[in-house]
Amino acid sequence: MIAFILQRLMQSVLVVFAMSVIVFVGVYAIGNPIDVLIDPGATQSIRDALIERYGLDQPLWRQYFTFVTNVAQGDLGRSMVYNVPVTSLIFSRLPATLELVFVAMFLATALGVPLGIWAGYKPDSFSSKAIMALSILGFSVPTFWIGMLLIMGFAVNLGWLPSGGRGLVAEFLGFRTSLTSAEGWSHVLLPAINLSLFKMGLMIRLTRAGMVEAMRADYVKFARAQGLSEREVVFGHVLRNISIPIVTVFGLELGSTLAFAVVTESVFNWPGVGKLIIDSILQLDRPVMVSYLVMVVILFVLINLVVDIVYARLDPRVRLKGEE
Amino acid sequence: MAVAETTRRQRLSEFWSDFAQSRVAVVALAVILVLLFLAFACEWVAPQDPYDLRNLDWLDAFLPPGTVGSGGYVHVLGTDNVGRDMLSAVLYGLRTSFIIGLSAGALALTAGIAVGLTAAYFGGRLEAVLMRVVDLQLSMPAILMALVLVALLGSGVGQIVLALVVAQYAYFARTTHGAATVERRKDYIEAARSTPLPTYRVLFRHLLPNVMPPLIVVATVQVAAAIALEATLSFLGVGLPLTEPSLGSLISNGFRYIHTDRTWLSLYPGFALMITVVAINLVGDQVRTVLDPRQGL
Amino acid sequence: MTLNTLRAGVAALAIMAGATLPVMAQDLTIGLRAGPDSIDPHWSTLGSQAEALRHIFDTLVGVDENLQLEPALATSWEPISPTTWEFKIREGVKFHDGSDLTAEDVKFSIERIPEVTGPMSMTIYTKSVESVEVIDDYTLHVHTAGTAPSLPNDFIRLFVVPASIGMEVGNEEFNSGESAIGTGPYRFVSWEPKGDLVMERFDDYWGEAPHWERVVRKEIPDDAARVAALRSGQVDLINYVPASDYLTMQNDSSLDTFVSDSVYILNVQPVVRDELPQKVRVNGQEIDENPLQDLRVRTALDLAIDRDTLVRVVLEGLGTPANQLMPEGFFGYSTELGPREYNLDEARRLLEEAGYADGFEIDFTCTNNRVPGDSVVCEALAQMWSRLGLTVNAQALNGTVFFPAAAREEYSLAMSAWGTLTGEASYTYGSLLHTKDPELGLGAFNRTGYSNAEFDDLFQQARENLDDDARRELYEEASRIVMEDRALIPTVILQTVWAAPTGTLTFTPRVDQETLAYRITPVSD
Repeated sequence: MIAFILQRLMQSVLVVFAMSVIVFVGVYAIGNPIDVLIDPGATQSIRDALIERYGLDQPLWRQYFTFVTNVAQGDLGRSMVYNVPVTSLIFSRLPATLELVFVAMFLATALGVPLGIWAGYKPDSFSSKAIMALSILGFSVPTFWIGMLLIMGFAVNLGWLPSGGRGLVAEFLGFRTSLTSAEGWSHVLLPAINLSLFKMGLMIRLTRAGMVEAMRADYVKFARAQGLSEREVVFGHVLRNISIPIVTVFGLELGSTLAFAVVTESVFNWPGVGKLIIDSILQLDRPVMVSYLVMVVILFVLINLVVDIVYARLDPRVRLKGEE
Repeated sequence: MAVAETTRRQRLSEFWSDFAQSRVAVVALAVILVLLFLAFACEWVAPQDPYDLRNLDWLDAFLPPGTVGSGGYVHVLGTDNVGRDMLSAVLYGLRTSFIIGLSAGALALTAGIAVGLTAAYFGGRLEAVLMRVVDLQLSMPAILMALVLVALLGSGVGQIVLALVVAQYAYFARTTHGAATVERRKDYIEAARSTPLPTYRVLFRHLLPNVMPPLIVVATVQVAAAIALEATLSFLGVGLPLTEPSLGSLISNGFRYIHTDRTWLSLYPGFALMITVVAINLVGDQVRTVLDPRQGL
Repeated sequence: MTLNTLRAGVAALAIMAGATLPVMAQDLTIGLRAGPDSIDPHWSTLGSQAEALRHIFDTLVGVDENLQLEPALATSWEPISPTTWEFKIREGVKFHDGSDLTAEDVKFSIERIPEVTGPMSMTIYTKSVESVEVIDDYTLHVHTAGTAPSLPNDFIRLFVVPASIGMEVGNEEFNSGESAIGTGPYRFVSWEPKGDLVMERFDDYWGEAPHWERVVRKEIPDDAARVAALRSGQVDLINYVPASDYLTMQNDSSLDTFVSDSVYILNVQPVVRDELPQKVRVNGQEIDENPLQDLRVRTALDLAIDRDTLVRVVLEGLGTPANQLMPEGFFGYSTELGPREYNLDEARRLLEEAGYADGFEIDFTCTNNRVPGDSVVCEALAQMWSRLGLTVNAQALNGTVFFPAAAREEYSLAMSAWGTLTGEASYTYGSLLHTKDPELGLGAFNRTGYSNAEFDDLFQQARENLDDDARRELYEEASRIVMEDRALIPTVILQTVWAAPTGTLTFTPRVDQETLAYRITPVSD
């Protein structure tokens, strides 16, 4: 087992290294950020001085080497736009994104799981078919378009909810959150619904599939034969059995929802990490782009690693295969 | 050969009767065919070529749907800020979206099959490395991959297609690999392997046909996803600019007007996008049900 | 839950949200498209940065709403030798920490800039400074490398910080408020990147006391969201109302709009070098010659632009036809140049005379959403030139693609916005039109290869001349030459719009588009 973890760990480090090279070279290829940022009144000598100061005149490999050395010392560099350390910039935006993601995941689960249970319990009823059709909508309609419709409907035409931005932010249990005030909730509601629809579709389908499978299983037949009520069968046996995959997927999807928030944050102008990365791409704020991407790669490599290890524990065959 | 022909025909008609059990899916298929026709016949169907600037007249700017413009015909979906007929713009945009979606889908399919089959057939270290990369890519949201790639490659149809292929090939690779691994253990492959047949023949004549059904399902879903992704990228401002139209850039342009009464600028291209994507997904869903009735996901 | 109870619930939520907003007459909340990138006033030349920090820090030289110089921390200035400017520093000015302003602080501020400034380098304002000499507490001599008649114009963004903060402090100390000590009408309370900038009135301010006790500058980059925030009462004033909403607002009696010309002009940049980076095609065949080198072709392009239509239809009224590279009243604006003519027949004739009777095909590249209206003007220009018989492939690109490629001189015909931010000609002419000459530091943004000895000569003379009237004349002459040469083709001056609830605020829009809380008063007063 330890050998397996070590091997996977080594692979992960290699992947992170490879990805950081790709990201760095790619970002380098886009263009010189000085040309995007520089003031038009600048002279050639000012431009040259800046390029030298930011080390952009160095060969690519040396720039990468400097970057890696700094990262090894925990320094991801400074934003070229805000002149603050990239880490503090990203972490100052993280609470807003986390808040949005948690509300969205809560909505997706709280609505998606019961709907999925129903659709799986009565797979042939009209309501189940309607639920499944809805889940296809949630799956396939682009997030930004739903977001626009939500804004048009609820913010522009009805005027019930604000069309974007984050509400009042207050300190709560050490977190800066907007979820302690009604105004904060009114701001988070539309973007959270928008972000949750895709995940809700996923939750519905996952739960339904589990339900359908479970209802055919022997233990359900036995339970029914024992004379247990349908309620007891579903909530006592079936639900317990299908909850493990649901919880696993929930955990896994948190990571991708974090990254997915890019679109929702842009549509609703939510001041989170996703908006930050879009802005930095549009401004060519190289240190922010590179650091964010490397952090995302690390996040996903970690998720993969954890999943691998968990599965290896659950299913020894995986381990054997890995050690082949 | 004649025998093979009839069984193929039989299988097709069987497939169709299974598929037709869902009326929704049949309607969706019809919708797709109509949209495809309209999109690729747009040069004849659309009232104007919206990207030949000589055709446009500024005096026609911002006409609401149903108004007659200087061209003497009705602008069914209105006009935009340079006097472009929105119906024409949507049809041409739809064509761009289809071209991007279909070519990205086809290229990703090819790349995915190549990677998946190679991994499954050769096994060993190569398989481990390839599938590791594929797994990692799968865990990353496609939108993020595509966003970064477009930021790196620059905007333009070719660049977007490339970004989408890189972001999507992994789905095909995983599916191919999964199906091929199962097939590989079967006797006929072992038998074929032990004969002096060249490797590619084993791959293409024996393995490939057997992994096709699940790939078809993935392909429909991925074409829809590619169309949606391109629209999203253009909406975020890193995809195609308004001068190089797709449904996404039209919607993005219209988004600026949602606080005014000119909602037609974003609504109609948006509906066109939604209908396209949903229809493809509905068809894909039914194909999946037919090919693999057990799976609900 | 029925649909009705859901509705009631949502409505209640919205009402509660409204109720929690602080409604105090002494507060002013402004919704802005862009905010500062840092509180360090020497970090960047970004317009929104200067605008925000002007509340906290004062500049050495001030400007009124038409970018004309006026006294600020310096009460007067004059050249005492060809290479020395004397500035008299205002007496009795207090910093927010209670200390007094002296010439020493100004010297420190000038010298701090090269140490701390970022990629949008502020050294463009101090590039002509060789050394700074403190004569006494209230007199300062600035020695320049060569004659620098426009030095006072360069100092309109020279923010003064106290020397006591020390050379070591950087961004963090400013952002936290620790070193955010200025002499301005407001003192810093809090800020975070992309967030709200909160400020309180500074009671010992040397100038006229501003009305508002507390000012919150909210950064709302999204146009639609900013308009929504105004309509819902979350903010009292917004800037950069998008053209699409401007029309609606004009018909809306609950909102007042304020319109002003900006300093930004969309210019077409025809490359006149011998070889074009993107070749021109005639009947589908690439040709080696560069038609844009021919003045008749450039004039034809100019004559084919219907600027009135651009303003009225394409920009929906939010613009002014431009007849030169600066708005009227700027130092060097030539009053001899009339409005630019629109004459399609004459344009066709010139094109024919130049040997392009059948037109040609050319690529035309513009910025996309860099300034309001750039991409639509781009398409409209292509449309107008197509009436001339040309085939114009218009492409609007993001700034991240456009600017690096423009710097590599990859475009044959391009369009982007240019603002004469200092209010006088040398800024624009030295960068855009003077022959590219890295040694002199001139022509850094001359992408077209334009080079006219007569123009260069006039520019050099003007640059050395300390007599305002003589210099003005020289620049006016230079303006006339470049316009006759069609070195650049100006199209429209962009206008910007502010909006506030009807009858609440009075303020005079500024040509630099700055929204300054201390120049805004309530109507009831």
